[in-house]
Amino acid sequence: MKSIVKQVAALILSIGFVFFGHYAVAGTPVIELTIQDHLFFPAIIEIPANTKVKLLVINLDPTAEEFESYELNREKVISGNRKGVIFIGPLAPGKYPFFGEFYPKTAQGTVVVTDQ
Amino acid sequence: MFLNSVVLILQEILEASLLISVLLVFTRLRDIRPFWAAAAIVIGTIGAYFFAHYMASISEWFDYVGQEVMNAFIQLTILLILAIFVTKYLGNTIPSRGSQINMGFNVCTLLLVSLSLTREGSEIFIYIGGALGDPSHAQPTLTGSGIGAGIGISAGVLIYYGLLGLPTKWVATSGLLLLSLVGGNMASQATLLLTQADWLPYSRILWDTAIWLPENSILGHLLYAIIGYEATPSLFQVCSYATGILLILLCAKLSFGKQLLLNIEQTLTSTPQ
Repeated sequence: MKSIVKQVAALILSIGFVFFGHYAVAGTPVIELTIQDHLFFPAIIEIPANTKVKLLVINLDPTAEEFESYELNREKVISGNRKGVIFIGPLAPGKYPFFGEFYPKTAQGTVVVTDQ
Repeated sequence: MFLNSVVLILQEILEASLLISVLLVFTRLRDIRPFWAAAAIVIGTIGAYFFAHYMASISEWFDYVGQEVMNAFIQLTILLILAIFVTKYLGNTIPSRGSQINMGFNVCTLLLVSLSLTREGSEIFIYIGGALGDPSHAQPTLTGSGIGAGIGISAGVLIYYGLLGLPTKWVATSGLLLLSLVGGNMASQATLLLTQADWLPYSRILWDTAIWLPENSILGHLLYAIIGYEATPSLFQVCSYATGILLILLCAKLSFGKQLLLNIEQTLTSTPQ
């Protein structure tokens, strides 16, 4: 009886590890995106498909900017000389344009989601 | 810069404009003076200024997702007050408790509009504040913002008179439906923000209407501001939108059912337009 309990416990633990261990070990990938002179650097961000990614947006301009993307359903004000975090994904492969709502003529970029 | 300002400010103003108009219609139907509206605009503007002023620090809370959490908190508070408002004060006309109910009505409308303006207005302060620092941008931004605000306020006036101009039996029902849409919009936006902050898990995109009605089209912008239109909503967003609408309608149903319509017909026929 005891050995069955142990086996079940081991099974639950290993299932738990398979599901959650991945998060604990790998964590969410962080990608840095800088705003300078109302431009995004890099303007093209490549991320893998079906993966949640943490965008760390660093605004080096003294003025605020609003990260906005209709395709990603994201909108966030990044104050001047500050940074902010935006979680995106998991996404299907494709191109997802984003722009700065306060300076849309110059501040433009694309998230490219690839199969790899 | 000019056109961008028009669209940006219009979008921020429209959402609050809709809420104020519908609440003013109900104030008119109750035949009480809309003092709350003036007070709410003053409090909301001051609130927006301070929210904008401290936005940089608020954004750094909770590991740099404070902005999302704070906005979602305000939106869920609006939904909660809306539910209380509809349940307790919207249709209640017990004459012996009249002044008490009117007081509750005024407090709720004051809070709703102040909170809505604080959130929407803060972005306007941040945007214009940034543009003023740059001489080449200041002029077109201010002109565009003025025009955007003008259109937004005009739309509110149009909604107000449009609602009051409806056949008597439709006024309250339409107003209530618009309030329920505001409720659904608040719930859905809060869900989206909490997903963006990773406080809620990802849920799959249910549909994509971007081909028929892109969010960056004029109609798309208008519908986004008024009913929270999204071309690619997630499962959780759609569920929370439906829950918000049903919550407000259920509160109305439990509170007064058809009684409200009868009261309003009486009010409208007894007071001159």
